[in-house]
Amino acid sequence: MNKVALITGGGGGIGGAVAHRMAAGGFTVIVADYDHRAAEQVRAEIVSAGGKAEALSVDVTQAREVKALVTDIANRFNRIDVLANIAGGSIYTKRIEELTWAQWKEVIDLNLKGTFLMCREVAPVMQRQKSGRILNTASNYGVTGSALRTPYAAAKAGIIAFTKTLAQELAPNGILVNTVAPGPTDTPRVMEKESPDARRQRWSSIPLGRTGKPEDLAEAFYFLTTAQSAWITGQTLHVNGGVVMP
Amino acid sequence: MDYGPNAACERRRRDAMRLKDKVAVVTGGAQGIGRAIALGLGHEGAKVAVADLQADKAEAVADELNRLGAEGLAVEVDVANEASVKRLAQKAFDRFGRVDILVNDAGVYLKASVVAMTEENWDRTLNVNLGGNFLCSRAFVPSMRAQKSGRILSIASGIAHYGAKEFAPYAASKAAIIGFVKSLAREVGPDGITVNAICPGAANTAMPRTHRTEEELMARLRANPLGHVLEPEDFVGAVLYLASDAGSYVTGQAINVNCGSYMT
Repeated sequence: MNKVALITGGGGGIGGAVAHRMAAGGFTVIVADYDHRAAEQVRAEIVSAGGKAEALSVDVTQAREVKALVTDIANRFNRIDVLANIAGGSIYTKRIEELTWAQWKEVIDLNLKGTFLMCREVAPVMQRQKSGRILNTASNYGVTGSALRTPYAAAKAGIIAFTKTLAQELAPNGILVNTVAPGPTDTPRVMEKESPDARRQRWSSIPLGRTGKPEDLAEAFYFLTTAQSAWITGQTLHVNGGVVMP
Repeated sequence: MDYGPNAACERRRRDAMRLKDKVAVVTGGAQGIGRAIALGLGHEGAKVAVADLQADKAEAVADELNRLGAEGLAVEVDVANEASVKRLAQKAFDRFGRVDILVNDAGVYLKASVVAMTEENWDRTLNVNLGGNFLCSRAFVPSMRAQKSGRILSIASGIAHYGAKEFAPYAASKAAIIGFVKSLAREVGPDGITVNAICPGAANTAMPRTHRTEEELMARLRANPLGHVLEPEDFVGAVLYLASDAGSYVTGQAINVNCGSYMT
């Protein structure tokens, strides 16, 4: 029986790398993304590499869509072993006085509410099987803050506290809940906004002297799904080259 | 790292012997968590110098490693003694030619209230637990710098975060290790060396037995959200993650392995 990993944002830079890593580790991977073409591409890559995957569409901010997604997966596979909530993003870089209420809610919903909705639907499935790993995605900005990203930093800090709370709630069911906090990472979304010169400039402020690769994050997510991390719960694993040492 | 076509099979092969041809030094490797780490590293293909004040027990662990098909070397060391640490480094280099991974696990756990604490016990705790980290790291950093790679792992403790009645010097030494780890991570990061701490929760080892009855101890060990009694082997996974390629972008962090008993 194949273990099932559900990955939101699975069509994106970090999510895609995580999907590949889980597939290489033997999971059947559900690549869930708002962008169906991106999810489909990751699925095709995994399958052509000999892995098992499926692509599904979901907007994690919509309770009904989340419920339908999880019900469909639970019905067909009868289990969900790993939930990796990776869908997210800062969307705006704006001063607080320029940020509309709608924009604020958009960022909070995508990052924090999306994580809540996914966990709420998947937790009962994991409770029934008395095992599971939930992996949420924060950011070093959730600890340090980041000028022009007030809702994003707030949402990511919220995810860290949400994770600790859910870890306590689900521990009696043998379910582990942890957060991975990426630092500067070379995803297409980040790289298209930054010139190569600006990137090299940034390297000087990173103790390990380079930005992270999506694969570095994928290894952290994967570690937190294995028997090697069986006694780690409620924690935040920072993968950031030493940019932030909380 | 490559996730292109056919990466899946390749990956599974690599998962098995993640530390093949690497050389590790584990202080405090003769018993408890240090012993489990030494054996875990050997299991992944590393050659391991088992360094401990207790030479006969270190010898036994080295023998176990050799029986595993790994290469073990026992070295008697007092990590709080400069000359002794220098000899450890010399023996490790003489035997293996290089050192890739240093695990600082040697420590003492002496009980007394602050008011009753003798200066000798304070000094011993800080010299061994914290000073040992300094002396051993100083001894192995130059060669890691030269090879532009290395992993330093320090075993701190959850007590660094939440303190412990009648163990003030232990708590202080373990919290200081985390500060030391963060600073060293900044110093040696540009040379491709990562430095991290692992903070174990209370575990089923000889250490807490020196101060508690068996009943008290087991009740305390079970009192965590997962209701699991942590064994020395339970910390090995985090060590392997941080010591292998998988953990190459993690530095300056303190990883809690504690069944959720404390969440930083």
